[in-house]
Amino acid sequence: LFGVPPVTRDYWRSLAQIEDRPEFRTALEREFPEGASELPEGITRREMMTLVGASLSLAGLVGCRRPAEEIVPFVTAPEDSVPGIPRYYATTMPFGRSAYGLIVESHEGRPTKIEGNPSHPASLGASSARIQASVLGLYDPDRSQAIRLKEATRSWSDFVTAWGQLSEAHAADGGASLAVLSESFSSPTLARLASEFRARYPRAIWATYEAVSDENRLAGLRSATGRDLDLKLRLDQASVIVALDADPLLTDPEMIHHTRGFAAGRRAGASGGVMNRLYAVEGVYSLTGAMADHRLRLESRQIARFVAALATRLAPAATGAERPAAVDVPGVDPRWIDALAKDLLANRGKGLIVVGERQPPVVHAAVCALNTSLGNTGSTVSYFEPRDAALPSVSSLASLVSAMQAGAVQTLVVLGGNPVFDAPADLDFASAMAKVPHSIALGHAVDETSSRAEWHIPRAHYLESWGDARAVGGTLSVVQPLILPLFGGRTVVEVLGLMVAGKDRPGYDIVRETWKPLLGEGEFDTRWNRVLHDGFLAGSELPEVVPDLTTTPLAELTRSIDGAAAAGTGQVTTGSPGGLEIVFLASPWLHDGRFANDGWLQELPDPLTKITWDNPALVSPKTAETLGLANEDLIRLDYASRSLELPVWILPGMADGIVAVTLGYGRQRAGRIGTGVGFNAFTLRASNAPGFDSGVTLSRRGGKYALSATQNHGSMEGRPIVKESTLAELRSAATGPAHAAGAHAGDPGAATSGTTRQEGQGALGVFPEETHHFSLWKEHTYDQGHQWGMTIDLNACVGCNACMTACQSENNVPVVGKTQVANGREMHWLRVDRYFSGEPSGSPEVVFQPVPCMHCEDAPCEQVCPVAATVHDGQGLNVMVYNRCIGTRYCSNNCPYKVRRFNFFNFTKETPDILKLAMNPDVTVRARGVMEKCTYCTQRINRARIDAKLAGRELGDGDVKTACQQACPASAIEFGNLRDASSRVVKAKADPRNYALLAELNTKPRTTYLAKVRNPNPDLEGVV
Amino acid sequence: MRGRTRRVLGAIVLTSCIPLSGCVRGCTSSRPPIHLNPSMDDQPRVNAQSASPFFYNGASMREPVPGTVPIGGLKEDVGFFTGKGANGQLVATIPVAVNEAVLERGRERYQIYCQPCHDPRGDGRGILFQRGNIPTATFHQDKILNYPDGQIFDVITNGVGLMPGYRWPIPPADRWAIVAHVRALQRERQARGTPSGTPSAAAAPGTPSAPSAPTSIK
Repeated sequence: LFGVPPVTRDYWRSLAQIEDRPEFRTALEREFPEGASELPEGITRREMMTLVGASLSLAGLVGCRRPAEEIVPFVTAPEDSVPGIPRYYATTMPFGRSAYGLIVESHEGRPTKIEGNPSHPASLGASSARIQASVLGLYDPDRSQAIRLKEATRSWSDFVTAWGQLSEAHAADGGASLAVLSESFSSPTLARLASEFRARYPRAIWATYEAVSDENRLAGLRSATGRDLDLKLRLDQASVIVALDADPLLTDPEMIHHTRGFAAGRRAGASGGVMNRLYAVEGVYSLTGAMADHRLRLESRQIARFVAALATRLAPAATGAERPAAVDVPGVDPRWIDALAKDLLANRGKGLIVVGERQPPVVHAAVCALNTSLGNTGSTVSYFEPRDAALPSVSSLASLVSAMQAGAVQTLVVLGGNPVFDAPADLDFASAMAKVPHSIALGHAVDETSSRAEWHIPRAHYLESWGDARAVGGTLSVVQPLILPLFGGRTVVEVLGLMVAGKDRPGYDIVRETWKPLLGEGEFDTRWNRVLHDGFLAGSELPEVVPDLTTTPLAELTRSIDGAAAAGTGQVTTGSPGGLEIVFLASPWLHDGRFANDGWLQELPDPLTKITWDNPALVSPKTAETLGLANEDLIRLDYASRSLELPVWILPGMADGIVAVTLGYGRQRAGRIGTGVGFNAFTLRASNAPGFDSGVTLSRRGGKYALSATQNHGSMEGRPIVKESTLAELRSAATGPAHAAGAHAGDPGAATSGTTRQEGQGALGVFPEETHHFSLWKEHTYDQGHQWGMTIDLNACVGCNACMTACQSENNVPVVGKTQVANGREMHWLRVDRYFSGEPSGSPEVVFQPVPCMHCEDAPCEQVCPVAATVHDGQGLNVMVYNRCIGTRYCSNNCPYKVRRFNFFNFTKETPDILKLAMNPDVTVRARGVMEKCTYCTQRINRARIDAKLAGRELGDGDVKTACQQACPASAIEFGNLRDASSRVVKAKADPRNYALLAELNTKPRTTYLAKVRNPNPDLEGVV
Repeated sequence: MRGRTRRVLGAIVLTSCIPLSGCVRGCTSSRPPIHLNPSMDDQPRVNAQSASPFFYNGASMREPVPGTVPIGGLKEDVGFFTGKGANGQLVATIPVAVNEAVLERGRERYQIYCQPCHDPRGDGRGILFQRGNIPTATFHQDKILNYPDGQIFDVITNGVGLMPGYRWPIPPADRWAIVAHVRALQRERQARGTPSGTPSAAAAPGTPSAPSAPTSIK
């Protein structure tokens, strides 16, 4: 790190490494794990060659004919379509009460790639792993393909007839025995239909349930202000952010704009402005905790007390009254809370306290009061009244279930969702559903709920649907289909429309009918088309609301803490060690299990544990030691007379005395990917404690359960891979002697050598003179055309894995399965490495580092390839010629960054016809025996060059965006032409934090990193 | 024993050669050629204009969902895109500025798409008329001279009579350029003073006087 004194610390990737266990040494020293070149059945490669030779001569080459291809053009081609040129449509992905504005790439009418809509307030042009992977849900071969009555296939008109008979009976008594169970939504059309439904069936039951929801926050704000309020966080405005058991940067549905705002605050600090400071107080190690400058490990049940302790320290400013006696939290250094309070008070109006959804309502109310008293409301957090929304309510589900149990429900309509799988275990939804004579379930697959229903209707994917939604802040967004329903699926709008109107109407008409009053009758079509084109209605945000507190939430918090101490309940405790605490986590990828059949998400490593395809129970090293647990030990959790057996994983940085289980796994009827993967934590979860609770016991069952983690793969032998510094050190280096000597601040070479770099020296002038070692090879000069390069800002990266999924979607990267991941054969072209530093039993700090191919100018892989399958092109790309590759794997062996991936098997050979539609036609689908790796999205470069040439202009900065760059919510990745001095990537490389990975090897990587900068509070030095 | 082994070996070699000899160069076969190294020639992905057994009509290309608007496909200027104004009336004059470049573009596009039937001068005596006696309208008749520009655009877009619509191969701007070229042809004929409507192919389809040389060209 040029001119900046790096923080020296020991980084470690796993507990096995820090203890230097033999299995880690083995894993480290081998290029691939033992037996990686063996076939799964145990046949060696040599035996395989014999068999292949024999079968070749026996089969007589019958199967080796060139496949016959047919050209199937359009019969009547649509206007404006050119085969091979993708078109782009704006649409919206509704997700609970959130909505993400998207731009979807369509190849000849088939959606293949999803990007964020840059103008949309919820996506800001970026996306998340889930959004990226949702396109695979459209082409899921296990989607339900027909309407079913019990087991038999029926048609939609059969259902319409059947519903006609049912509705007549229900209309007679006002729908007294009719019930609807809906997912929560925020949609003008659905809200209109729901109110029409209530008008038609005034006595019907309407329940809204979300397994993972912000119900506690809604309840807290309702109790404090007397009305329903949603909030929007503006992390970019915040200088001090306090996350209490919260994960706004990953599991929060609005993680995209949170991450964008947070990264803006980090980036501003690194370039001389004000850097935000993030405090995290949490029991489980979340991604937000990993980004924190200060992280305090605290059980979830202690958060309420922590808020009370913080409130007493903020109180003088809050009320002006005399300062109450400071409350303390057992096990927490009071100086920590003091420093936090001081920082918050010093940044009034620029601070932000966020509390996680799993915390009880009383904590949310108290935090709302704290934010208001600190003047943060309206600047860093704003409130608005939800409109057109169905708010989630567990109690509505509970009363529905009791009505079902009592036999009061004749007809139950499940409008999406999977309550049999994800309803609280104490409600026993499945047995209640068995008592309902007529049940109708709308679902993407014949899942746990649909298989028990009388009628099942396939649900259309959002890419096949007409609909609408309100995004965060209330922006009206429109859901536009990219393709007609592949399996005749119906949308919630259409099913509810049928229930309301009694006749079958297309979703298009129903949605337009809702929008007519919104847009005005005159010129409606013109305005409607403009909305479809843009994806949302500009200026439709809801007005901000200043919450006036009708109660005193802080006093109530104190009362509930005292009350809980008396009653001994688990949610808010005084901190007496009430045994082990169980915490239920929403899966960052599968959410509540709805994405369980998505291979990309199943194989995406968890950001912290790096485990794929499973959801072990997480415990801290100290808890594991106390209980005598090791990784992969099978344990049994007993909680509220229910039990679950699952493996355990030790995650450093967890609070002691916590066991955390992830929801959404253990699906019984998800499909070929998701069925039976992981363990169903919903079987433990109760309706009165959906977030966390005390009173769980953990016992060892004996035996092991193999987990597939990617964490030790691609290890770099402890060399300085990640560089980081603190803000204070960065500032002192910027004003240090090198700077005073007259060198340019932005000149990386000058800071250490003292000489001013000449333009054009070295390769592109990117690499300073002194790192130019003696080279064995003839040096190339890259002084023609475009020379592509990339920077990755470790200071902005939050490790959310959106880039990995975007890369997988763009580049047809196969899914290999749990066993192959265990063998080190995962195929992700881009991986996100996670390094811990610090005491493993304390709260170790985390750095994430995305590692794609570095596109070295002197690439070690090229020098060892015997068949010139990997070579350099004139634009500085290290390219793979798949057809030349004979699979020696020498290149991977010689790659210091371990970014090359080998197709040990023909992972794509058995691709179902429907999944072929999801492939990017611009990228080769690789076969067995071929090495592959990041290409800098060469197909995007070529597309942009052709477009620029056709338009008769030069390729400008920003014309080419790699898939990872485009998806990144933090804008951590810059990509562009290194010969263009004004390009953003050149400016990023001029940052003093810029460094090359393993620069001493003289590989001259085109991808470089910007060092991470932490912003610790000087008051907290030495305070743990 | 030794000879027998040799015979067996020879038989194996011969039989293994049979499939190879099935399609040596020069032989005709209805089957695709032998292709030893698949080499990712056939990938499990869907290319443009390829077949897909997934869809009922066997085509992988799907038509856009009716009512959707792609980015850049807003077409708010209905006169430009349909030849008809917002009130449904045909546009009277070309809604783009006609200059040298537009006329040249129109001439070029006309040569590609229109000339085979309408002939270079717009008399409706193109190659199709000459060889196949396809009745083709001349532009130099009163009816078409009196068309509003939007109507010629509409005919190119949607077709008329035997003429198919050209909305897919010719983008709207090019269609207007062709309209400009057709107008230029008409003005040229008017200026020369040739009586309008003669010779009219549309009026006399299949008249024996029309094509003289088609048979000799065959």
